[in-house]
Amino acid sequence: MTSNAQAGSVSAARGPAPGPAPVGVLVVEDDATIRRAVQLALERYGYRVDVAADGLSGLEAFRAGAYDLLILDVMLPELDGIGLCHRIREESPVPVLMMSARGDALDVVAGLEAGADDYVIKPVDTAVMVARIRALLRRATFRPDTESPASEESGRDRAPDHVLTFGDLTVDTLGMEVRRAGATVSLTPTELRLLLEFAAAPGSVLDRRRLLRDVWDYGWEGDTRVVDLCVLRLRKKIGSGRIETVRGFGYKLVRG
Amino acid sequence: MDLLNPRALRWKIAALAAAACCAVAAVVGFLVHDATRERGQRVGTERTLTRLVAAEREYDRTGRASADIDVRSRDELPEPLARELAGFAEKEAGPPDTGGYATWYDADPPNWFWMWGAVAVADDRFLVVRHDMSTEVRSLQLLDRSIVKSVLAALLFVVPLAALATEPINRRLRHGARTARRIADGDLDARIGPAGRARDEVTEMAAAVDDMAAALQRKLENERRFTADVAHELRTPLMGLVTAAGLLPEDDEAAGLVRDRLWALNALVEDLLEISRLDAGAERARLDPVPLGELVADVVRRTGTDTRVGAADTEVVETDPRRVERIVVNLVSNAHRHGAAPVDVTVTGARITVRDHGPGFPPDLLERGPQRFRTGAGERGRGHGLGLTVAQGQSEVLGARLTFANAPDGGAVATLDLAPPSHPA
Repeated sequence: MTSNAQAGSVSAARGPAPGPAPVGVLVVEDDATIRRAVQLALERYGYRVDVAADGLSGLEAFRAGAYDLLILDVMLPELDGIGLCHRIREESPVPVLMMSARGDALDVVAGLEAGADDYVIKPVDTAVMVARIRALLRRATFRPDTESPASEESGRDRAPDHVLTFGDLTVDTLGMEVRRAGATVSLTPTELRLLLEFAAAPGSVLDRRRLLRDVWDYGWEGDTRVVDLCVLRLRKKIGSGRIETVRGFGYKLVRG
Repeated sequence: MDLLNPRALRWKIAALAAAACCAVAAVVGFLVHDATRERGQRVGTERTLTRLVAAEREYDRTGRASADIDVRSRDELPEPLARELAGFAEKEAGPPDTGGYATWYDADPPNWFWMWGAVAVADDRFLVVRHDMSTEVRSLQLLDRSIVKSVLAALLFVVPLAALATEPINRRLRHGARTARRIADGDLDARIGPAGRARDEVTEMAAAVDDMAAALQRKLENERRFTADVAHELRTPLMGLVTAAGLLPEDDEAAGLVRDRLWALNALVEDLLEISRLDAGAERARLDPVPLGELVADVVRRTGTDTRVGAADTEVVETDPRRVERIVVNLVSNAHRHGAAPVDVTVTGARITVRDHGPGFPPDLLERGPQRFRTGAGERGRGHGLGLTVAQGQSEVLGARLTFANAPDGGAVATLDLAPPSHPA
């Protein structure tokens, strides 16, 4: 390849902090050009990119390898992106970015309902896609930095003020663990991050725009349906009455 | 409001029922009145004749008349009686049924009602009987009055009853109107539905409206599916192109040209898809409370153009920020493309004004609003005229008003009013 030297320099310049294992991304896309172009573009940003051409082989590839993030096209042969997302969600909370060629409500809503964390509309500029990927990965590795260093040495007899309780729901902000009536609730990083936003201000109304900015790193261009559908998924997992809708404003967490 | 509207169907039908009621009462009343009057006169005539016959018999026997009978000469007779008697004389024998008895009803309302009877008993001697008819007349008047009273009493029942009887039809019509309005407001699944057991014109109308709604819905959905398919078919290759073009070397002039035209093509496709979505009426605003000044400043900053933003006493507006962003971006880039710097964006209350200092909007646009693929300047290749069409369409989705004008001292002024007076929030 003639552009190898350049690709290398670009990845060195733009890539994430060099670490022992580059971030693994799986791209499932049926269009060969897009598949290859996205792979090349993301590799320039320093990601390790694997590709699959249809839903079933995408699922196999996902099960075979360890990935930090999935990029799924909605329209796929064999198993479409929405079905694939459902199957993956049954097994793993890995961040999923949906790619839709049809910006209409149905695709977007179905994708988000299936458990996708965010979506982009084709054609998408590589820079925009990388921004979305970074925001997703930030959430996946998110740790609240409110803990003081002293807490690390105090052990298990310390007053667990990092464990917040709302009725039958307990949120361990240090161990990043959520339990409902004693049973562990499996949340995706986005859902967990959203719940932590609510838990940090129980009882007060958080508007959708603010949540979109704080959790998804969107400006005004963001689509608030992302918030609505994530709240919907969160409710299914932690109890539908826990998060109340405040019509025209946003949502709030019920304390008791 | 509906109850007091004098042209409401219920009052029209009530008035019709009242009119029919009055007409029937008038005809029946007239017939009854006439028959009663005739019977009264017949009774009066008979009584008069009976007395006359008796008087005649007595006169024949005794040669004199009793006290209540007048004996008059021809000249003393009232005119009509004299004429009738003269008629008998001319015919010699006289008609057998009257037997030479003449009668005359002398009525001079309000108080003079007499039935006269006369018969010739000798040459120029006539027996004359007068019978008072005022009792009959009074009873006829009483009858008339009671007919009118009963009609009024009937109306008192009929009018409210008719008004109430229209209620089921009214309810179905109102339901139909509400449904039609819901369809117009975008609820394409709304149907009037079957209306119980009634099989009348309203049912037929409802069925026709439902059929129309279904046909329109099919058409709209076909169009929507077409748009979605076109979107998919165009966007997929574009996505490949855009991503692949991003891989081309940054400092290569040819690659730059490709990227530049690619973005123009991309923008054109997006605009076209957006317009067809707007045309299909499929777009719905997602409202959020938005601090307008902040939003506009942020949006303008991200256009990367040299545009001045001024915001004074801005409001938090309930609107869809993504659509406002589309409108503002389109207006600002239009101002830069067709107008001249400096471009000023001002936010006042719920109003956004974009002003440039170029030649102003062409008269065609001021007159007829934005037209697709018409830039007015006749310079092809300088924008496709879709930007303002999109802005206009989006502002309609928001229930906002977008107006185009030229400033008196030159330059185009586009004003987006997010809370126009005709659309109270």
